[in-house]
Amino acid sequence: MGDQSNSPSSSIDSSSHPALCSTSSSFQTRRDLLSTDLKLGLGLSTSALHGSSSKQREQLSHWPPIKPLLRSTLEEKVHRSHSKTFFVKVYMEGLPIGRKLDLFSHNGYDSLMRTLRRMFRTTIICPDTSRVPPEKAHVLTYEDKEGDWMMVGDVPWELFLTTVKRLKITRADKC
Amino acid sequence: MTYFPEEVVEHIFDFLSSHRDRNIVSTVCKAWYRVERLSRRSVFVGNCYAVRPGRVMARFPGTKCLSVKGKPHFADFNLVPHDWGGFALPWIEAAARGCPGLEELRLKRMVVSDESLELLARSFPNFKALVLVSCEGFSTDGLAAIATHCRGLRELDLQENEVEDHGRQWLSCFPDSCTSLESLNFACLKGEVNAGALERLVARCVNLRSLKLNRAISVESLARILVRTPHLVELGTGSFTVEHRAEAYQRLIHAFRKCKSLKSLSGFWDVAPRCLQSIYSICPNLTVLNLSYAPAIQGADLVKLIRHCFKLQKLWVLDCIGDKGLAVVASTCKELQELRVFPSDIYGTGTAAVTEEGLVAISSGCSKLNSLLYFCHQMTNAALITVAKNCPHFTRFRLCILDPGKPDPDTNQPLDEGFGAIVRSCNDLRRLSLSGLLTDTVFLYIGEYAARLEMLSIAFAGDSDKGMVYVLNGCKNLRKLEIRDSPFGDAALLENVGKYETMRSLWMSSCDVTLGGCKALAAKMPRLNVEVINDRVESDEMEENPSDMHKVEKMYVYRTLAGARNDAPEFVDIL
Repeated sequence: MGDQSNSPSSSIDSSSHPALCSTSSSFQTRRDLLSTDLKLGLGLSTSALHGSSSKQREQLSHWPPIKPLLRSTLEEKVHRSHSKTFFVKVYMEGLPIGRKLDLFSHNGYDSLMRTLRRMFRTTIICPDTSRVPPEKAHVLTYEDKEGDWMMVGDVPWELFLTTVKRLKITRADKC
Repeated sequence: MTYFPEEVVEHIFDFLSSHRDRNIVSTVCKAWYRVERLSRRSVFVGNCYAVRPGRVMARFPGTKCLSVKGKPHFADFNLVPHDWGGFALPWIEAAARGCPGLEELRLKRMVVSDESLELLARSFPNFKALVLVSCEGFSTDGLAAIATHCRGLRELDLQENEVEDHGRQWLSCFPDSCTSLESLNFACLKGEVNAGALERLVARCVNLRSLKLNRAISVESLARILVRTPHLVELGTGSFTVEHRAEAYQRLIHAFRKCKSLKSLSGFWDVAPRCLQSIYSICPNLTVLNLSYAPAIQGADLVKLIRHCFKLQKLWVLDCIGDKGLAVVASTCKELQELRVFPSDIYGTGTAAVTEEGLVAISSGCSKLNSLLYFCHQMTNAALITVAKNCPHFTRFRLCILDPGKPDPDTNQPLDEGFGAIVRSCNDLRRLSLSGLLTDTVFLYIGEYAARLEMLSIAFAGDSDKGMVYVLNGCKNLRKLEIRDSPFGDAALLENVGKYETMRSLWMSSCDVTLGGCKALAAKMPRLNVEVINDRVESDEMEENPSDMHKVEKMYVYRTLAGARNDAPEFVDIL
């Protein structure tokens, strides 16, 4: 009763271990099969070394030898950190139809600005630029949890994520 | 002894606590056989297919505690196809007919249907304890039947089962008159339960000492429960998701302070590191701590917690504790007997884990250590030799190096010498699991020195048939041998066929054994069942009559008095 993982890809590549030259060839083939399985499982691309039969793919779920309850707990942790989304509405002044944007898919303000510029095809000014804004520029604002409209970019990104409710792109000359 | 009245002989047999001893005395003479069988109260069946249920009940009509095990151990890792077998119903039916006085039933790795739970619930008026470990096939409807009909139930212990959720009302089926529960464990249930019914149930069961909740139980509910159960000895918390500023958290801390008898803690599924502080007051009394389902807690928080746990005897953690964390365990937990370190990073994202350093630290600090399960990224011979010297009392030693067949990173040598040191030093070793790069030499050592070894697990090891033969010829107490992905073939399988009648079972998968070899074994040994388990996918592609040279993907061999079983699915051939 167990009553109760995989190393990084670099160490999976068995062909780099000199000690393995002395083992029997069938054993090496078996281990190469597993290393292919592990690569497939890790989502890394691999040339069709051994072909990917469903049998090999099935083998993948049998290593490391941990029980199903632990495996599902660990997998869930991975999924959680990968698939969580946070969609907010984005309106541009003058356009009645808004867009939606996943803030979690961005890792900072630069990334957010790039996406917005692409979505709305306009120049968005950051608060720290000292250049005089051209007439047609816009600024990005957000509504926070207290209902106030604030300029985006003043607080750290992580803190911003916890207070933002929606975004609005307004004309620069209004600020 | 034949001059003594039977009652005296029976009384003497009462002092024999182990099944093995009672089995032995029953073979001395007919008189002793008779006395023993009529006075036997506890029966253990290690392989449900080794003997027919009816025969067991006929021989031991006074059975009060029955333990039965089903699928082979590798079923835990999905190596045994889903409907291979291991059904509980025939056992419950036979017990209902032959031993209506049954009080306790323990099943492990068996398929338990709702129908069989309903039969169980209605057939035994004195039924007191149901323990299901790693079972499947039932739903909360079956649990409802148990709750409804088992008056006087003391223990319902569900460990790591796959239970289908048919709603939360099962817990409400415990009648208001039920006050006898001493142990309730439903941690493996995925669905919600009726929190109000649970709180009322634990409040009226004044003898409740062990309570393990499932993930659906909120912290608010946990706090209310703990207030009603201050005498709890074992607790499995629910999800433990709480904002540390919340009132519920404060109430929880307060409730924990009242639980002065708590010695064992588990659960903690979604606990935030900051909330671990709530249990600091209990830690100095803890002997058992299981944090293996809490991947959110990183090393530093674990360490802060462990520093309070100086009476700890059993610790299960994830490898996020790191080598440094294990060093803290070594300096704090001087009473430690069992350690399990599980892998947290099964997708190779490269986060911190443990290495041989952690294990060496533990072995230097925890001299009472006798049971180990250790998943790590690497191991060295030098480390294993040191561990063997520091801890000669290992009874269970299971090492899993995550990269199969990995050599000693310092010397690039196989780990033969390291494991050899373990078996030489640990004379009481009963269970061993090997990993890393290993040649036939390690098996030579095992065969020679592991005299008390009962269970051996081999994966990706060995060079030739000689390896397996060393083990079969050497380990005279071997009961279970399980091998996967190793180059052992027919010659090894057929070298010592008599050995298998002295063992419970042999499992071999992805080895070099052929169908012809299996047939030869079956022909030579009629009292063994030789099962060839065909992979679903392959059997679609396979021809009607595969040749004898065809390699067998999975083979399970076990001694039996019952002959070939009649419930085998079509993908299992019993030769």
